[in-house]
Amino acid sequence: MTMLHAGLPTVWIVITVLTMAALLIGSLFSSTSTANRDSFSLAEAPLIGGIFRYLSSQTTILLCLKIVFVALFVLIIVSGLMGTPIAERNFSTVVTWNLWWTGIVISVLFMGNAWCAVCPWDTIANWLARRRLWTRNRFETRLNLRVPGMLRNLWPALVLLIVMAWLELGVGVTTSPYDTALLALMMVVFATATLVLFRDKAFCRYFCPVGRTIGVYSQVAPVALRPVDTDTCDNCETLDCYNGNEEIEPCPTKLVMGRLQENTYCIACGNCTRSCPSSNISWQLRSPSIEAIQDARPHFDEAAFILGLLAFTSFHGLTMLPGWMQLVSSLAREIGDSGQLLVTFTILLVCYLFSVYMVYSIFVLLFKMVAPRFGFSQIYSGFAFSALPLALAYHVAHNLNHLFKEAGNLKEVIANPMGTNAMPLSMAEKHQRTMDMMVSADLIPAIQVCLLVVGFWLSLQVIKYRGEKIFKASKSQQIPLVLFSVLISLFNLFLLSQPMTMRM
Amino acid sequence: MNNLPCLTALRRIVLPSVMLSCLSYQSVFAHHVLGRPAYSLNEDSNTPPSMAVETQIGDFFITYMVFPAFPKSAQPGRINLYIQGIDEGRYFNDKVTFLVIDDAFFSDRQEVIGTQDIDDGVYRQGFVFKEDGEYLIRAHFEDNEVPYDIDFPLQVGELSPVKPLVATVLVLLFTIVGSNLLMGKRAQLAKFRAHRKSET
Repeated sequence: MTMLHAGLPTVWIVITVLTMAALLIGSLFSSTSTANRDSFSLAEAPLIGGIFRYLSSQTTILLCLKIVFVALFVLIIVSGLMGTPIAERNFSTVVTWNLWWTGIVISVLFMGNAWCAVCPWDTIANWLARRRLWTRNRFETRLNLRVPGMLRNLWPALVLLIVMAWLELGVGVTTSPYDTALLALMMVVFATATLVLFRDKAFCRYFCPVGRTIGVYSQVAPVALRPVDTDTCDNCETLDCYNGNEEIEPCPTKLVMGRLQENTYCIACGNCTRSCPSSNISWQLRSPSIEAIQDARPHFDEAAFILGLLAFTSFHGLTMLPGWMQLVSSLAREIGDSGQLLVTFTILLVCYLFSVYMVYSIFVLLFKMVAPRFGFSQIYSGFAFSALPLALAYHVAHNLNHLFKEAGNLKEVIANPMGTNAMPLSMAEKHQRTMDMMVSADLIPAIQVCLLVVGFWLSLQVIKYRGEKIFKASKSQQIPLVLFSVLISLFNLFLLSQPMTMRM
Repeated sequence: MNNLPCLTALRRIVLPSVMLSCLSYQSVFAHHVLGRPAYSLNEDSNTPPSMAVETQIGDFFITYMVFPAFPKSAQPGRINLYIQGIDEGRYFNDKVTFLVIDDAFFSDRQEVIGTQDIDDGVYRQGFVFKEDGEYLIRAHFEDNEVPYDIDFPLQVGELSPVKPLVATVLVLLFTIVGSNLLMGKRAQLAKFRAHRKSET
């Protein structure tokens, strides 16, 4: 029997629609203002400032955190390979898919791209390839090849993100501890091989689907690593943040902090904070909309990645609707697919991705018809940032269901990570789990609605600012892209209003 | 069954992308997804936990159950197969032949384990495997002279935890040692060139 999580109650749907309508009307009549550029260095915050200053200058705590996450990662591999094949009783699947995979997106809202700083894939690869725990290795042991030009963009990460979605939702890696462990091992091998072969951190910058997802999402995060005083960077002659120094490695993704305007490629490793002779780099609180609205510079590959994220997140929701199986079943019958129905699933995944890109393209073409001064790719790339808050808002809202309603057995899998002598979840336990959530059942819809509304509002701000300041378009000319934002927001609201199949 | 570790890893992750329709792995699933092996546990009945697959082929909806859920070698087990028409819901009632196929690479071993008649809407086939491994159970039947072959994966015994670890270590060693050797050669060549340059 399938267990379902209830969708958003009707009253919340009405509130969302009314709020979005009010925001839309307000946006039509308000003037365009630039995003707030004020930021506040967390190193100067009362009480916690000392912690941030210590973290920025010392490697000890970061190293300890890396060791902890590597230990957890090893436990995931060991429990996946040797533990029970019952997914909901195995540390590997519960921690990977119910906690990490859902929590990592939520963490962007609070910590930006900080996960990359402690990522065990990169940590292990670094230890193996450089043979140093943290200091700079002057004796080069890597081949330092250049990544081929055609791969120096976000396309490889986008392809790998689609592969991840296929493995997760089609093949069902989330339901197999053994396959979860194999995937973990393959990621370590991939990260190590690219680190050994290519210069800098090619895996983190170009290939890692998780890192680039966090990087792109963190464009709308309220915290980021940035210079405290831009004048200090303007007068800097050594560029230690870029080149490193005797002890500290250079920036692994080749970013110059003084000119950094978007988070996409930053992996929060902290090399810049430690190597800056003026201690001018720190974590800063800032307006979450500043990058998406005005700072981020449009690139076609990044735009495609953002739209891929938009499609990827709503496709997750779609596959967890009760009617999804009927759709798969009907199509499988039409095309004569049998067995695991992976052909059918792949067709639906490709069609869905294609349709999202097509829908966006149609609205871009409509914009081009009313404002023909710019080329298609310019408009396509420039306005793709409007999809970013929509994707993140829905992704977090969807993941809240998984995190709060399905990760309740964390204590149990920590106590028995291998799931020794464990039986599958009985119907009574499944029922108990849906009733016994980590937070109040009334709180989740409220948070989900807030996320959708804020995402929609940010999306409107992006369209308004970029439309007027960059594309010199009047409010009426921006209508096609506003309609796109409305359409996606309503579709996301529809997905959240539906009952959702419980993962495990 | 004694594959090289890298072959096992290749098959577990890479092959699904190539052989899309091949059911070659085992997983445990809590929610109902067509075509994936899933736990079936009903504490309200006397039926023991089983691994079940629901899928469709042509005009038939197939339910396949294996008892026990995780069979081991030398332990008797049973397959229950239900074949029901999708449209009219009628049960197929002709004979069904069950074959077992060794799912290891480079193996073409297969054996007929029995031909069964329908019994109260279900085809039942017992089995005992001598050794652990990955197998395919093929149910073969014909309806209106159209042959149907339905393959189901069956993991007997536990999957090896050592093979993927060994494969990973070997690949990492190969990559790191290989790059070190190349870098060593590159350094030697640079020294040699510098030496020759200083002589000239």
